[in-house]
Amino acid sequence: MIGMVMFGVALLMLMLGFPVAFTFGGVALFFGVFAEGMDLFAFMPYRIMSVMQNTTLMAVPLFIFMGVVLQRTRLAEQLLTSMGRLFGGLPGGLAISTILVGALLAASTGVVGASVVAMGLISLPVMLAHKYDKRLATGTICAAGTLGQIVPPSIILIILGDVLGLPVGDLFKAAVIPGVVLIGLYIVYILIMTRLKPETAPAMPDDSGLSRKQEIVTALLAIIPPLALIVVVLGSIFSGIATPTESSALGGVGAVVLALIYRQFSFQMVWDAARDTVKVTAMVFAILIGATAFSMVFSYTGGDYLLEEWMLQLPGEKWGFIILAMLVILVLGFFIDFVEISFIIVPILAPVAEAMGINMLWFAILIAMNLQTSFLTPPFGFSLFYLKGVAPPNVQTTDIYKGVLPFILLQMLVLALIVIFPEWFGMSSSY
Amino acid sequence: MRWIIKLDDGLAKLSTLCGWVACVALILMTLNVFYDVVARYVFRDVSIGMQEMEWHLYSVVFLLGIPYALRTDGHVRVDVFYTHWSDRTKAWINLLGALIFVMPFAYLIGTYGYSFAVDSFQMGEGSGDPGGLPHRWIIKSLIPFSAFFIATSGLGMATHALRVMSGEKTYEEKHSAEGLA
Amino acid sequence: QETFTLKMAETWGPNFPIFGEATKSMAEMAEKMSNGRLKIRIDSANKHKAPFGVFDMVKAGQYDMGHSASYYWKGKVPNTLFFTSMPFGMTALEQYAWFYYGDGMDLMQEVYEPHNMLSFPGGNTGVQMGGWFRKEIKSLEDLEGLKMRIPGFAGEVFAEVGVNPTNIAPGELYTALERNTIDATEWVGPALDLRLGFQQIADYYYTGWHEPATELQFLVNKRVWEKLPADLQEILRVSMRTAAYDMLIQSQHENAKAWASIKKEHPNVQIKTFPDDVFQAMYAANKKLLKEAAGNDELAGRIVKSLESYQEDSRAYTNIADRAYLNTMAEVEGDE
Ligand code: NA
Ligand code: NA
Repeated sequence: MIGMVMFGVALLMLMLGFPVAFTFGGVALFFGVFAEGMDLFAFMPYRIMSVMQNTTLMAVPLFIFMGVVLQRTRLAEQLLTSMGRLFGGLPGGLAISTILVGALLAASTGVVGASVVAMGLISLPVMLAHKYDKRLATGTICAAGTLGQIVPPSIILIILGDVLGLPVGDLFKAAVIPGVVLIGLYIVYILIMTRLKPETAPAMPDDSGLSRKQEIVTALLAIIPPLALIVVVLGSIFSGIATPTESSALGGVGAVVLALIYRQFSFQMVWDAARDTVKVTAMVFAILIGATAFSMVFSYTGGDYLLEEWMLQLPGEKWGFIILAMLVILVLGFFIDFVEISFIIVPILAPVAEAMGINMLWFAILIAMNLQTSFLTPPFGFSLFYLKGVAPPNVQTTDIYKGVLPFILLQMLVLALIVIFPEWFGMSSSY
Repeated sequence: MRWIIKLDDGLAKLSTLCGWVACVALILMTLNVFYDVVARYVFRDVSIGMQEMEWHLYSVVFLLGIPYALRTDGHVRVDVFYTHWSDRTKAWINLLGALIFVMPFAYLIGTYGYSFAVDSFQMGEGSGDPGGLPHRWIIKSLIPFSAFFIATSGLGMATHALRVMSGEKTYEEKHSAEGLA
Repeated sequence: QETFTLKMAETWGPNFPIFGEATKSMAEMAEKMSNGRLKIRIDSANKHKAPFGVFDMVKAGQYDMGHSASYYWKGKVPNTLFFTSMPFGMTALEQYAWFYYGDGMDLMQEVYEPHNMLSFPGGNTGVQMGGWFRKEIKSLEDLEGLKMRIPGFAGEVFAEVGVNPTNIAPGELYTALERNTIDATEWVGPALDLRLGFQQIADYYYTGWHEPATELQFLVNKRVWEKLPADLQEILRVSMRTAAYDMLIQSQHENAKAWASIKKEHPNVQIKTFPDDVFQAMYAANKKLLKEAAGNDELAGRIVKSLESYQEDSRAYTNIADRAYLNTMAEVEGDE
């Protein structure tokens, strides 16, 4: 019971806006000391130590570093300009090239913020200048940028791998098909929209002065670097040359090499990238430590057993549980972000899923798809904030909210497909 | 007020120092992991000592990064309401949060972390694996150190809030968790 | 009458077969025999999140009891190494004889006493298999530069003969072996190895030498032990001893079952024994390292001496009994 009250109090306190990590830690401290005494917190050093020795999570700072360095190579810019030239002449072409660039960036890194900001700065003004519908333009950018979290390598998948005890490489592999399907559906949606409402995404007149052949060559040249990185990172993981953590270091060094090739390298650049990485890493791990304290108090006061028993008795058994789990994650995703959900909610759901004989890999992909949606759902979707931060003033927050709606629906459609037809995605729902 | 400003500036420097060390550790860690993969294929060599160094550096990255991010407001907030509040309200929330949540939390981790590290020192604990690193108390003592710096950053959060309340400083308009994965 | 509830932390995750069953059966026995006066609540690693913090947590009193393996504490207290199993050491039966009728328990207590704990045998796996190799080891040269996951003292022995011992988290072991991040790994024996699926990716399953009788351990905080009334102490001691011995029996049962299924479903798996030169080199390396360890301090010297002399005497009898019988059987039935 104490656990449930603590949960409620923590959610209320979060709304005050104090940093999430310390709100969880602080609330846990009061309830823990009250229920079990100070000595409960003698466990904390052991728990922190097990995070310190956790080589799976070591991939988190390394992949972030790779993404941040990549952002500074101006790779996204080159891709967007050349792809825009290549497809811009078609109706909806700019939106489709945004999706394709988003997919390429997604497969070479896992950093959503960088992709959304880059596309918001480059792609959005071009689309708006060519009379694209604001909603379609902003929705496309947010959705394309968010692909980074479902297409491997991805921070969500690494964290889920750790929390659910699954090999991160297997999760990466399992996420490939859902990611590709999602990208395909985005493109299909844009094509249908441009058919139904041609005025929302008009073709762009060709004014680059380049011949078609030159356009193709520049586009190909721009695609080589991210492809090379994808081969190094995903290739080394899938072929077994390196563990995900090791390949993230290969990617980090690879990104620095790309910066050298693009003449963007400087020691200051690497240092700035390191600083940004440390900040984001610190934020993720602070939440992890706060969540650890919170879960510790929750489980030592018996909250986990209570919830577990309740969930095991849900009507509809496995399906009832899956629906509940997905709804809980979706709703919480409106308010808190994927890190808290992964570290606090998923560990409560996991043993129940296991007890019900659910295939954990499939379950993890469902959670990852669902968490991805939280990047797009107002009011706390990160992608929305990033885009609003760099969008011109005439783009209203409500435009962005309305713009992402169809993409949220597409994500939920894919989620539903994975639930109902796991075999289409190369998985099975149970063992 | 003058001494608060002085204290606040001093605390800010301390947090920046933590950030600096964490950045160095991050770069070293990237090189370390990179070297270990390359060494395995190129020199057919595996060193458990080097492998353990990876997580030693990684621990430095996040344990010293946390106090740094606290000072630079890098931690995620649920800012549905927060962004709309006045600087005064924000300052009150940060002041109370720092005193009620951050400091006691850091205190508990610090105390228990201290005996955790001392215990390791007294036992002369090292790696149990062939070729592993000795003196495990060094890396374990990072836990109380991190707690100490989280406390000083928390105190810095409080002094900063006082400066904002006095009208001498303002909170920068900036969405939290910038650049989140 | 007063009821005692002891909290026990185990190194294993929830529902871990064999090892986890040993703790559960121990707790059930203690509760039944004490008519409910002694309750043991088990926290698995998913709850306390510190699988290798069991030693510290029982020492500090955060848990009253622990279930783990003594050699995990070798980095903290080097002398704990000797109470699990030693390369080229005793078999389970010989080792139990050393613990219960030789000096084993006394020496173990001498090691744990300064840390405020009592240590009891906690269940034996029997002879652990020598590991899964993707390439056959035909001579000493084949070991040169081989990347193998093998922790602890055996890892040091392997290192002496040219192997590169590496550290891989259990969760990543299968993938690491499948993708040649490592060339070989040891785990436990057929029953537990089967769960990790090594039979699908490695063809050579080597016979054991490095952990001929891995004994797990129960730890009890000394103050907690002293608070228990004499009858409950005895109930706890008997429960631990029974559960430990029962784990050896269960290991035999489960391993035999698992081996039968590997043979049937994975005919690719071949049983191999290291060639002579490898064993000679490892035996010499082991002797040398043991001598170094014995020289470290006085207590280590006494433990090594006790182990060696007990093994010598005990083995002389095992040779004319078990071994002679198995040899006879092998001759009568022919090699299989
Ligand atoms: Na990605
Ligand atoms: Na073993």
